[in-house]
Amino acid sequence: MSTIIVEHLSKHFGKTKAVQDVSFNVEKGRITGLLGPNGAGKTTTIRMINYIIPQDEGTITINGLPVSAKTQKMIGYMPEERGLYKKMKVGEQLIYLSQLKGMSKDKAKEQIKYWLNRFGAFDWHSKAVGELSKGMSQKIQFIATIVHDPDIYIFDEPFSGLDPINSELLKQIIIELREKGKTVLFSTHRMEQVEQMCDDICLFNNGKMVLAGNLRQVKKDFGKNTVLIEFEGDSRFLDELENVRINNRSTNFAEIRILGDLNHQDILKKAMNHAEIHKFQLVEPSLNEIFISTVGEDNIKNKEELLA
Amino acid sequence: MNWRQIFLVLQREYITRVKSKGFIWATILVPVGFAAFIGIVVFISVWESDVSFEIGILDETSQVAESLVELNAARYINYSELPVDSLRAMVQREQLTGYIVISEDNITENRSLELIYSGSGGIQLLTSVQADVREVIREERLRRAEVSPEIQAIYDTRIGLDSRRLTREGVDVDDDTLFFSVVGMLMGIIIFVAIFSYGGYITRGVIEEKTNRIIEVIASSVKPIELLTGKMAGVGALAITQFGIWIIAFLGLSAIAGPVAMSLMDQQTQQLDGDLAAAQAELPFFLDMPTIETSLIIFFIIFFLLGYLLYSSLFAAIGSAADSDTDTQQLMLPITAPIMIAYFIMLHTWRSPDSVLSVVSSMIPFFSPILMITRIAITEVPIWQISVAIFLMLITFTGTMWLSAKIYKVGILSYGSSAGFKDLLKWVKQ
Repeated sequence: MSTIIVEHLSKHFGKTKAVQDVSFNVEKGRITGLLGPNGAGKTTTIRMINYIIPQDEGTITINGLPVSAKTQKMIGYMPEERGLYKKMKVGEQLIYLSQLKGMSKDKAKEQIKYWLNRFGAFDWHSKAVGELSKGMSQKIQFIATIVHDPDIYIFDEPFSGLDPINSELLKQIIIELREKGKTVLFSTHRMEQVEQMCDDICLFNNGKMVLAGNLRQVKKDFGKNTVLIEFEGDSRFLDELENVRINNRSTNFAEIRILGDLNHQDILKKAMNHAEIHKFQLVEPSLNEIFISTVGEDNIKNKEELLA
Repeated sequence: MNWRQIFLVLQREYITRVKSKGFIWATILVPVGFAAFIGIVVFISVWESDVSFEIGILDETSQVAESLVELNAARYINYSELPVDSLRAMVQREQLTGYIVISEDNITENRSLELIYSGSGGIQLLTSVQADVREVIREERLRRAEVSPEIQAIYDTRIGLDSRRLTREGVDVDDDTLFFSVVGMLMGIIIFVAIFSYGGYITRGVIEEKTNRIIEVIASSVKPIELLTGKMAGVGALAITQFGIWIIAFLGLSAIAGPVAMSLMDQQTQQLDGDLAAAQAELPFFLDMPTIETSLIIFFIIFFLLGYLLYSSLFAAIGSAADSDTDTQQLMLPITAPIMIAYFIMLHTWRSPDSVLSVVSSMIPFFSPILMITRIAITEVPIWQISVAIFLMLITFTGTMWLSAKIYKVGILSYGSSAGFKDLLKWVKQ
């Protein structure tokens, strides 16, 4: 049985339909990515799963239970807008947050000790969070999310604002959690992160879910119809190609998605007439490409941001 | 509602605040300030007689100077033999505070006297000199008019007004209306200030959680209503702690201040050719204070708490709607307005606690915490009025709590810009 089951979920704020009739499952022991540009409804969906805001319609089931204060305690949640009490001491703060998640004080102390040691941060115990550097308080934030050892972890845009060291640390944590059989759901608008980590994906656009499924399967379904080409010379031949979409174009590189029945060998021939080819590869489309062809180029809000 | 969660929130709110430097200082400084205030008042009443002002009298009629000296030998000196210029010189050399020239005109006509002085002594000196010369000149006029001693006696009469209150039980007791008017006003002001300061704690606390961005982490573990209730209870417990300390300190200081002041004054008056009775009369009125009944203190606590409850949830709602401290001003208006109105009515109520305005407004829930306690302290308020006030406040509290919870729930998760009243209305309707 799926760990999280979302069925026909809808939410509106005034006239804005933030989430419309969304259904998807998050499978146990896997990493699921919620993708889509900002404003697509990811955060709203995540807040409903966390029982922070109520849904207008639809149901959310977690480990067989409808969302409630009880299911909240099964989840470790790191929101996009992160923060801690600045004046509180690290130790007291972590104890408070884990007690709110239903942990006993003694158990919380033990776990906090373990995690602070693990992150090389044990001597921060009596420091006020305000005294810590940004990177240090991000580590405390991770601990606050995972210290009560829940079965489900939800991260909203987890890598935004993290320094490279903490980004790497968080990736390790997430992968480690999966190895322990925990369930992870995270949202992002950065597609490449999903490619590296996710087992399953769920694409959002304008409050609707447009595609969901196993990442490998989704890519396979789109077929090997993308050309990666590296060249030196005149790049104008790219403009002459018809029925293609060119992503990621630079002076000596292009990612070309073939839309019609154009043969990739024709592209190669054209390219050889104009430039020296260093590399020519036929691959599965990138997630970016999958997203664009699913929702249609014109329907994407904040497209630049997505491609950034 | 989960009581464990509420208790955890309460505990955090209480402990982090009780340990804060600001709280510790305020809690200590208020009793210290109160002790210093008592000390200063005692000091003043003990030492004020020591400062003497000498006024030279140049009496051209040589008929009133002696009566002035008789009236206050320490202050008035008869210099009728000296020329005016020497008196001027003495004032300039600060041997004299000032001088008055009394001529025949001042007695026969209504011409004002002139005090030429160095400027020290202030209003207190001027009024007492004025009273003194008035008295002697009137006496002199009466003497010249050769009125009978009976009529002179009539002029000497000073009828006072002593008041005794007849209680419902039919016992007439000493009336301390003046004292209790001051107590009533003070209690009103204390509740007024307390609502603002503890309410301010709550508003700032809510804004802090928003600007720190911790609120969403908290909201993923605690229901907004639990968080709100815990916060209100935590700050409420803080208020009780602080007031408890202050009340104990106040009672303690008052208990020792009286005897200490008395013994100080005893010494003082013995040195100055002691007269114990005089010392007793000079004891500042609030040290010689009538006992404050326990029932009044209990009512004070009840109205203090109800007032706090009534307003605190609204302060939380404002905090949740604002995005930064500076944005609260405009949103604060609907809360500050009724408190300010109550405060201004109270300035009327403490002088006339039984007027229609006082009675009616003391039963309006948003005014009751300030006005009803002022009235209870000063006058006999019928039980039904107190009950109506308490009942209406409880009902209004459930209303404000409901309203605030609705605003708070949405407000804490909306970042970016402060909400206007239109937004608040939308949130309530959601």
